[in-house]
Amino acid sequence: MVNETIISVRNLVNRFGDQVVHNGLSLDVRRDEIMGIVGGSGTGKSVLMRSILGLQKPTSGVITVLGQKIEYHKPGPSRCWGVLFQGGALLSGLTVQENVELPIALYSDMPLETRHELASLKLLMTGLSLSVADKYPSELSGGMRKRVALARALALEPKILFLDEPTAGLDPIGATKFDELITYLHDNLDLTIMMITHDVDSLFGVCDRIAVLVDGGVQVGSIDETLDSDHPWIKEYFGVPRAQRARAAAGERHHGE
Amino acid sequence: MISSYLNVEDQHDRLIVGVRGDWIFDNVLALEDATASVVPHTGQAVTFQCDGLDDIDIAGAWVLYDRTEQLSELGIKSELIGFKAAHFKFLQHIIDAAAIREYEAPLDKPVRPKVLQGAVENLGRATSAHIEDLGEIARSILDGVRRPSLIMIGETIKQVYLTGVQAIPVVVVITFLIGIVTAHQAAGQLEKFGASVLVVDLVSISITREMGVLLAAIMVAGRSGSAFAAAIGVMKLNEEVDAMRVLGLNPNQMLIVPRILGLVIALPVLTIFADIAGIAGGALIAVGSMGISGLQFIERVAYSTDLTDFYVGMSKAPIFALLIAAVGTLRGMQVKSSAEELGLKTTTAVVQSIFMIIVADALFATLFTRLGI
Repeated sequence: MVNETIISVRNLVNRFGDQVVHNGLSLDVRRDEIMGIVGGSGTGKSVLMRSILGLQKPTSGVITVLGQKIEYHKPGPSRCWGVLFQGGALLSGLTVQENVELPIALYSDMPLETRHELASLKLLMTGLSLSVADKYPSELSGGMRKRVALARALALEPKILFLDEPTAGLDPIGATKFDELITYLHDNLDLTIMMITHDVDSLFGVCDRIAVLVDGGVQVGSIDETLDSDHPWIKEYFGVPRAQRARAAAGERHHGE
Repeated sequence: MISSYLNVEDQHDRLIVGVRGDWIFDNVLALEDATASVVPHTGQAVTFQCDGLDDIDIAGAWVLYDRTEQLSELGIKSELIGFKAAHFKFLQHIIDAAAIREYEAPLDKPVRPKVLQGAVENLGRATSAHIEDLGEIARSILDGVRRPSLIMIGETIKQVYLTGVQAIPVVVVITFLIGIVTAHQAAGQLEKFGASVLVVDLVSISITREMGVLLAAIMVAGRSGSAFAAAIGVMKLNEEVDAMRVLGLNPNQMLIVPRILGLVIALPVLTIFADIAGIAGGALIAVGSMGISGLQFIERVAYSTDLTDFYVGMSKAPIFALLIAAVGTLRGMQVKSSAEELGLKTTTAVVQSIFMIIVADALFATLFTRLGI
């Protein structure tokens, strides 16, 4: 059970005209792990996630999620995954409450009151106050929209969580609380997380393994393995002062526990 | 069903509830039934023993927690043991932080519909909205034409191409077909009076005075009215219009005036094409199936229709163009919040511009009749 593969990507090729973004990329995400996806601009982080979600048709390759083969624009295991898009991607014609209740209404028969309470619970979990419940997404700030989107992603108690730059645009308190929430959920629930992020604090603080997208492929390893890598770009990425400080801070936190 | 999630043991002073099975989202309905069946007598305390749990998630934990809250409201003490206390500390923390709003069904307020008052209020609101719209578009145009820049010329030419040149094929085809239909219908009636040759007069006069310009304008309203509203609307949603302002560019100058100017130039030219195509359609029927010779056709056209008729039609074109472009760009600029609003504004732009074209056409008809033109 422990090393069961939840997401399997085999020989993924994504070509756009002359530009080859992924050239035979293979990746396994194991059950119950938090995997950080890292890479420079244009290395295809979002393309990778979109391919896994069935939103992008790969040039070639086979992707399987929870045993189900993923096909372009065909429903995937929607009952079992939750996705946090980069901008939130809330439905603009629905209120906050309606946005979070929507998946629950789609996938269960529970009565209105229960649905309402569960949705409210998820909103509170992400640190929002219920005063936003009747607002429309256009009336919220970017950070609040993100939290609503997270609440929606968690609405169905998913087995897998996909996060695209979740802490981008959040203030330091919000970003820390987010990391804490993810850690809490992960520790207490059977949850596999794939997280695209540039936030080095999240990477060191939260992730079990890191997948670095380089040269059309991917280098996967634990934090220590990744830091030991000889690849020039990886060394540069983790060598910058920001990353060094984050590493040191995370190290201190771990020692302090 | 119920017993697969709970088993209840009544021990005089307390209820021992063995919690087991999968307390997860998928089973919430059944779990609520199960917890509702835990009904202690007054004076009894409840112990929830959770070692038998196979699986639990936040939804399931919530159902259990909710029941303990309900019991404590009734003055009944309950405790949870043998379980990851972490889950409940978590829920406790959230719920202490903010009370979960109880679901309130909307109260049905008995309201006597004030029909007359409502209608008058709506009329007033609509009127003032229209006046505001008029002011807004006038201001946009005037703002856009002061201190014109050279970029506007390029934008205007682009609009002439998009709204005019690209519309030629479709306008020509529809007016050609209408010419055919009009001639055909007229022929049927005029033959009874032995006045078949008057088909030519009818087609030629009606196309040049009315149908050519009206059809071209309606097609353009559909094509360009919606295009203007949608393009500008999306720019507003993407904050592109704001980006222009902070760069020192004037959106009225860059977006609105070129579109209006471009259409005012394009529609008269389209009208010419429409007139020719319409008359050609009539010719097809006249010469093709009514036995009127080509020469006879041309002579008849020259006899019945003079330049005044052509000018009457053409004079309407710039006005129609102004109406379409003003409504289209105005509605686009009014998009603020959502994709749904964008769709609504685009639809409104098309419907309103067509409506206003036809109203204007009727006014023109009255005017020209009075003037004897």
